[in-house]
Amino acid sequence: MNSATARRDGIKHAFLWPAFLVVLLISLFPLIYALTVSFQTMRIVPPMPPRFVGVQNYAEILASARFWGSMWTTAVITVLSVVLEYILGFALALALHHNVPGASLYRVTFLLPMFLAPVGVALIARMVFHPYLGPVNDLMGALGVGNLPFLTEPNLAMAVLITVEVWQWTPFVTLLLLAGLQSLPGEVFEAARVDNVPVWRRFWDITFPMLLPLSVAVVFIRLIEGFKVIDTVFVLTGGGPGTSTETLTLFAYNEGFKKFNIGMTSALSFTFLVVVIVFGTVYLALAQRLTRRYA
Amino acid sequence: MEAQGYRRTGFVLALLWFFVSLFPLYFVLVTAFKPPIAVSQGPTYIPWLDFQPTLQAFRDALSGLRGDFWGPVVSSVLVSLSATALAVLLGSMAAYALLRFEFRIRLLAGVIFAVVSIGGFLVLNSLWGLRVPYALGIVLVAALVLSVLANRLPLPGPVMKNDDVTFWFVSQRIFPPIVSAFALFLLYSELGKAGVRLLDNFPGLVLAYTAFGLPFAVWLMRDFLQTVPLEVEEAALVDNIGRFRIFFQIVLPMSLPGLIATSMIVLAFIWNEFLFALLLTSGKWQTLPILLAGQNSSRGDEWWAIAVAALISIAPMVVVATILGRMMRSGLLSGSIK
Repeated sequence: MNSATARRDGIKHAFLWPAFLVVLLISLFPLIYALTVSFQTMRIVPPMPPRFVGVQNYAEILASARFWGSMWTTAVITVLSVVLEYILGFALALALHHNVPGASLYRVTFLLPMFLAPVGVALIARMVFHPYLGPVNDLMGALGVGNLPFLTEPNLAMAVLITVEVWQWTPFVTLLLLAGLQSLPGEVFEAARVDNVPVWRRFWDITFPMLLPLSVAVVFIRLIEGFKVIDTVFVLTGGGPGTSTETLTLFAYNEGFKKFNIGMTSALSFTFLVVVIVFGTVYLALAQRLTRRYA
Repeated sequence: MEAQGYRRTGFVLALLWFFVSLFPLYFVLVTAFKPPIAVSQGPTYIPWLDFQPTLQAFRDALSGLRGDFWGPVVSSVLVSLSATALAVLLGSMAAYALLRFEFRIRLLAGVIFAVVSIGGFLVLNSLWGLRVPYALGIVLVAALVLSVLANRLPLPGPVMKNDDVTFWFVSQRIFPPIVSAFALFLLYSELGKAGVRLLDNFPGLVLAYTAFGLPFAVWLMRDFLQTVPLEVEEAALVDNIGRFRIFFQIVLPMSLPGLIATSMIVLAFIWNEFLFALLLTSGKWQTLPILLAGQNSSRGDEWWAIAVAALISIAPMVVVATILGRMMRSGLLSGSIK
């Protein structure tokens, strides 16, 4: 690059810097302050002068059963819902790709749930799963199962949360995999059809491996997003019964805004960050091995 | 024969999912028109047959009989539209820069930034006892200037390119939002003590949501801008037309569908966002999701009222999803996933 173009390129900074500064200022820079707070005890109510305590907050978190409980809850909800979303979403994408009757009608409908506010979805789910007034138990009654205490029994409450997640986010998987299916080269499938390769084999030997890199990305995005879940839990169960459905984010929020324990919440959110980074790295390493075996 | 079987299974599955997707929406729609008795005596489904529909719940909500309703609606609209516009504007500018120019950032300069800002903050705040906002402000400027200057020196170590910068933007989404939301809450309340009111205020919310929407905007707009042919721009460059004019008068109009799609997606994310709003608002600027979450405890079984609130938050997004669905059918969005 000669000096003339380099000088003219100076304008590039005017394009990039505003966005860069906003993200730096709002998303990253406050973390410095929060990081120092996480090594202090700091309470708003009752007000206490901040005191440096070293890693005590972190030690307390790692020793707390509630933390490990919320970690387990988050992992179960995320993993189970993502597995279900992937299987269902892939099947639906295949159906849409092969233009089942009414495919064009389904497309908009299938998109809809993921654009709705999770809080709104949770409110609707609260009605739908209401033990006496809700349609699901109406159906259960008609099937002879009887009324189920959906939101007050720990395992059922988890099942409801997973159902809501699957309902809302399967469309995301469908949308991306459908786009992936449409971009696959048609000749390969034509050749397989001519060679009379059975449909099932065609899927496992051609479609699935070719979409594996996209699948890895889609599942990664969903895992990361799923790990953050708070709104549906906040509205549907509030973490209850007891703390049996409390997720990591909700736990951190409760520490900060119900117990006003600022230092602890900061420490918790950083622990959470470490957890996400560790899980993400492990997932990507595993996914890479899987992709390589197929390639 | 065999293929027919799979086809039928696919059809049944799609049909089933169609009903599973729509039923809850149908249920909330009819519930909004129910009189109290149609809720409290068990589920009812079909208007006029199961119950006599009424507009009472809508009238109650809109007249403000059940608490302030317009406040959250107005603040949601103002905040999400402003933040979306800002995020998409700044995001597409950044995406354009990342596509057309070369950036080289030395890793060591980044390390210098981190060390100077964290170390400087500790010294200023803990040792000198400077107030948090001032300490952070001083540190930010010092670290930025130092690292920009350091970047010009021939430092050893790896050099990061445009893809790394893009990844840096997108990686903000990997962060659990509670980390930055809570940190932002702490910072805003410290700034509040210094007299700058950002908590529960319009500028603070718009800034937070702009940062929240930027990763999407950069990521999506980079793909959309890639489809704009270079030749047009080169012709304009030869004619000595400035980069900003090229960008706003040629590039952006040419990628209008992508711009619309990106705006819709960013708008949906900001409109529905809960955690930031929960932490950063307390009264005046509460957004719709916070109002909705509150319905739960304050309304109990008054489902008709809850349903109206839910519908008002859902309705704009139904429009957004429909527009995007149409764009998807015309193959516009499939180009963005590679």
